[in-house]
Amino acid sequence: MASNPGEVRGYLFRLAAIAVCLLALAVVPAFVDPYSLRIVTGALMWAGLACAWNIVGGYAGYISFGHSAFFGIGAYTTAILMQSGIGMPFLATLLPSVVVAMIVAAIIGGPTMRLRGAYFAIATWAFAEMLIQLATILDVTGGTAGLSLPAYLNEFFFYYTMLAAAAASFLGVWYLIEYTRFGFRLKALRDHEPAAEAMGIRTNLVKVQAFALSAAITALFGSVFAYWTTYIDPHSVLGPDITDQMVVMVLLGGLGTIWGPALGAVVLWMTNRYIWSTFGDTVVYLPILGLIIAMVVLFLPNGLISLIVGRRRGRELISRILRKL
Amino acid sequence: MAGKFSRRAFLQGTVLGSGALVLGAPAVSAQAQGKTIRCGVVTSLSGDNRFGGNLTRRGYDLWAEEINKLGGVEIAGERYPVEMFYGDAQSRPASGADAAVRLIIQDKVDVLFGPYTSGVTLAVQPISAKYQVPMISGSAESPNVWLPKPPFNFGMIPAVDLTSGKSIKVLAESLGSQAKSAAVIGVDEPFSKETAEGFRNGVQEAGLELKRFELFPANADLTPVISKLKADNPDIVAVGGHESVFINFINTAQSLDYRPKALIMHYGVTSAAFINQLGEEANGVLGVSVWTAGLPYRDDLFGTASDYSELSFTRWGTRPDYTEAACSASGLVLQDAARRLGKAPPWDQQTRVELTKAIEDTDIETFYGPVAFAKEGDHFHNNIKPVPVVVQIKGGNVVPVAPSGASEGELLYPMPGAS
Amino acid sequence: MDLFLQAIVNGVLIGGILICLTVGFQLTFGVLHVIDFAVGGWVMLGGYAAYWLVALAGIDPFISIFFVFALFALIGRAIGPLIYHVRTSRYARPDLMALAFTFGLFLLMRGGALWLWSYNSRNVESVFSGEFLTVGSVTIPLLRLSAFLMAILISLGVFLLLYRTRFGMAVRAVAQNRDHAGLMGVDVKRVSAYVYGLYTGITASAGVLIATIYSVNPSVGVRYTLFAFFVAVLAGLGSVGGVLIAGLALGLLESLASTYVGSRYSLLIVFGVLFLVLLVAPKGVLGRGI
Repeated sequence: MASNPGEVRGYLFRLAAIAVCLLALAVVPAFVDPYSLRIVTGALMWAGLACAWNIVGGYAGYISFGHSAFFGIGAYTTAILMQSGIGMPFLATLLPSVVVAMIVAAIIGGPTMRLRGAYFAIATWAFAEMLIQLATILDVTGGTAGLSLPAYLNEFFFYYTMLAAAAASFLGVWYLIEYTRFGFRLKALRDHEPAAEAMGIRTNLVKVQAFALSAAITALFGSVFAYWTTYIDPHSVLGPDITDQMVVMVLLGGLGTIWGPALGAVVLWMTNRYIWSTFGDTVVYLPILGLIIAMVVLFLPNGLISLIVGRRRGRELISRILRKL
Repeated sequence: MAGKFSRRAFLQGTVLGSGALVLGAPAVSAQAQGKTIRCGVVTSLSGDNRFGGNLTRRGYDLWAEEINKLGGVEIAGERYPVEMFYGDAQSRPASGADAAVRLIIQDKVDVLFGPYTSGVTLAVQPISAKYQVPMISGSAESPNVWLPKPPFNFGMIPAVDLTSGKSIKVLAESLGSQAKSAAVIGVDEPFSKETAEGFRNGVQEAGLELKRFELFPANADLTPVISKLKADNPDIVAVGGHESVFINFINTAQSLDYRPKALIMHYGVTSAAFINQLGEEANGVLGVSVWTAGLPYRDDLFGTASDYSELSFTRWGTRPDYTEAACSASGLVLQDAARRLGKAPPWDQQTRVELTKAIEDTDIETFYGPVAFAKEGDHFHNNIKPVPVVVQIKGGNVVPVAPSGASEGELLYPMPGAS
Repeated sequence: MDLFLQAIVNGVLIGGILICLTVGFQLTFGVLHVIDFAVGGWVMLGGYAAYWLVALAGIDPFISIFFVFALFALIGRAIGPLIYHVRTSRYARPDLMALAFTFGLFLLMRGGALWLWSYNSRNVESVFSGEFLTVGSVTIPLLRLSAFLMAILISLGVFLLLYRTRFGMAVRAVAQNRDHAGLMGVDVKRVSAYVYGLYTGITASAGVLIATIYSVNPSVGVRYTLFAFFVAVLAGLGSVGGVLIAGLALGLLESLASTYVGSRYSLLIVFGVLFLVLLVAPKGVLGRGI
């Protein structure tokens, strides 16, 4: 991959930066109170979810409005497997939940990924709405009454689990996208689908692979979330607001960049919780949040990441990789 | 791309990231710990359940204002004012849990007042148990809330399975041979669904013919359901839902030229919004309530049930329903338990456990009625003392009509304008 | 049989409202290529405007609907250039940015309404409320019938505007090809802003009708965003003609499914059908284009 000395140095520098960040995140619990730790845990979860959405939305160029479906699949798989009848330990439920999500994604990914643009968006969203209705009607999901999980309220466990999941997602996606054939194919597909096909890339396969990968990561966070909040119901884990947040976070941070979604997720989540706790007894934070989103779109359309990478470069970078409609 | 990553960019990133962390982790509030009782309210001020959530807040606030007028809660001869802190659960269990942790850790509350919905309550229960903060819930009527035997959570309103079924039986008894069949419909959402199931069990136990049992999604257009009810033509129609569904039901039924002979609903019929919005059309509608302003209950703070109703009307401009009453009564429970405990706030963990024990032993009379919490069984820590009363709206007033012991007026059957 | 006829009538009447709800949305998609998340927000605000006009001035919603249309057309005309700016910016994925922008607007409306007007549902009274006609064995709610007629009238107005005026010709030209229309001397930016104003006016008017039939509260919009998307996709995004068929189809589907399969399953069926339609005929019933 990197042959000239400059690139090697840059690569090492990146690794060092990541190591420093991870180390800093690893010692956070020693310095903050349990509430702040809970909020940071939430930030890690949303960062991971934004990263997952970015695979399909940013790299493959398909806007999914149905990712809450996979979040819910993960949450419900874990919750069902942990009910007293089956009683699996939490960690053992992670693999089944990821596998179920991948299978569902592979099945619905095939036909839906033939659709483009807004049609794909609305098809995935209709699918997510179907799942909410299904979870409401079925008995195994507890219907509208939802499911309670065994309460394990060790905030350190959840912090480090979320940290591990988020770090694995980001590093895994970074590696897959930047250094593997899968990543090159995906980017080729996004840049010009017919050309990629002409080059012999099996675009359908690559798209479905990307969709399944994205679904798997989303489901992983759904599983952890279910165990963390100890109670789930159809709207709390399948509701469209979960997808909405993922999309907005990625756009805010920088679509199709590795670290943009993380930045967007952290900033949006922290701002959200900060306003929410400051104006705790009114709902004025809702219009403020709406205004912030609209303002960012108007004045910072390449996402927050463009502030860091530099405005001009950011614009070039992002429009180069994303010149696909 | 990798080669162009500069030191400057790295520094910028780190600074921005840590800035965000600081923003999200506001410093622990440095507020001086005065000698007050710090009460946290976790409830849905926004989101789908904001209506009921704001009612619970009114109830809790009214108690706090009244007790503070006297200088606060009396403990061992001294008065301690009450300080209220709020956390918006946004009608989401996860936000409710965040709010509860925030109130406990950052606002250092001594006691929690519980959420409006059962879902949020279920997510907050483990947190109140972990930090050993007692939580008194003036709402949350789903029986599921009490099944896990929450050690620190207490519920003021009897679970809906205890009230809705019983009310149908009471109604069937008062109607005697006039009513032979019934239909039950309900919104497919927590609480409403359980209410509808309670009604269904009551219909079966009362020996009525169940002509229809149907659930529909929240916000659904009701014309199809009502067209079917019209075709079935049962004697009693029971609806499980909240007040906006009832308003919608009555409006839609009216526009389809249908008015059942008896229409019974659960929560919300007694709410001011229902009567104000429907006016004449509300006349004759039956409801189930564990409290009405006419009941002969009283206590030292609020006076009689009707005094409370006046007070709440003066304060908020609308008549209180049983949720508001139960929330205000939650404060009375805390007041009584703190008095028996006899220890000055702030309460540490050990004292809070003792306080919880004191709440468990509650046995008081309030304007809301008798309060005592079950210590075992499926309704663990639920106040199962209040008896459901069947009420009917007459001329804009809520009049108890059954059972005969509590009734103040005749049951109108069929209801005015029935088709 | 009676029940079947009643179900058909119920479905058709709701279908009319859905047509009115979606026709402006389609126009905006056709011209601006924006999927407007805020469609439900305009419905909600229109409903509140009707409520306040009844409560403060005693104007019946079937009269105030014209004021509401004018008011929201002006508001939309003012916001239009912003949407146009976002949509035509040279940045990557302007379509997504426009989506995020309208998402922010929607949150602003929903949160603002909740903050200002509090949480309770408000009933909008009209002279038609509670009245009905009986035709044979079928009961027709007069309010829904009037709302249906009003909705159809508004939609027809849109068609006349599109196909019988110079402005309509400009709109269609922009929808077909923005660049070519620009070269032909059409002021694309102005046309887009007017179309957005037209859309907000129509959608708010649909909101007046919806609020009069049901009631209005700050979170009523989400459901109508959903339904507008459904009708729009079934019609084929951007196809204004298809809305007539798709709106009626959705109204009938929901009514028949809740009558004969069970209300509990109605939304599952509605979304299942939407999903399948997209897979089978992604361009909608009438194909694309205005």
